[in-house]
Amino acid sequence: MLRRFSSALDELLAVQESVEAARRSDYFGRSTTSRGSYPSVNLFKENDDTVLTAEVPGFNKEDINIEIKDNLIRLSGVKKVSYPEKSSTHRVERRNVKFDRTLKIPDRVELARVKAEYNDGILKVVLPMAESDKPKQIEIN
Amino acid sequence: MTEEKKDLASQEKKEVQSRTEYTVPGKKYIPATDIVETEKELLLYMDMPGVKKDSVRVNLEKNVLAIDGQIDSSRYSGLKPLYTEYNVGHFTRNFELSNDIDQSKIDAKMNDGVLVLTLPKVPEKQPQAIAVN
Repeated sequence: MLRRFSSALDELLAVQESVEAARRSDYFGRSTTSRGSYPSVNLFKENDDTVLTAEVPGFNKEDINIEIKDNLIRLSGVKKVSYPEKSSTHRVERRNVKFDRTLKIPDRVELARVKAEYNDGILKVVLPMAESDKPKQIEIN
Repeated sequence: MTEEKKDLASQEKKEVQSRTEYTVPGKKYIPATDIVETEKELLLYMDMPGVKKDSVRVNLEKNVLAIDGQIDSSRYSGLKPLYTEYNVGHFTRNFELSNDIDQSKIDAKMNDGVLVLTLPKVPEKQPQAIAVN
């Protein structure tokens, strides 16, 4: 039987791969569940603004709260899934949700210009960078 | 697990695993779906965030209900990703129905990313009492 010649480097590569796999899994994460935080968010940059999006279908706009302080943004909300009376369920995959999540974004936020919208189940928050955080051009005399 | 923990646990988006390949690029996801039956109808609730009302296609053929929701990717144009936790894509899912559905009266509504499909059942024949002479 042919065996592949194994070298120390192969061993090292195998160790490296298993370490990376462990890092990718959330086994060492802070949460007690392995499902990740809700809602999943994406952060984008659009010029100087940071744009946050989250997929949160089926909420009432009034049941989502956004609080901002410096460069911290806190999202919280509740959703109750309801069905008509006198019905039997065949399949339940959507859940009641109650979330509270705080994120740190790179720059401090100009509170007066923050815009939030909720369309088609997607929450979008535009967080403009505070004037004090913007770099200043210095002229040379 | 306490009730609250259960509520907090988020469901990850499931990507469609299909034997056929697509001719157009883009990811497809399976929308989380609740199916509820009442006396007169079958109700489907599907989470499809980012899908607008007019980009949903519902097709019923030979008891197979096919639902397809297209997202508008222009929503993300001009944005540079900084940090991402989820990917975006279209939604698609098929169901085989066991009830007889009145196809002409299917109703679809889209509210805040949730598609609500109402499928009226064909009224069943009333059991007939046979009189014994």
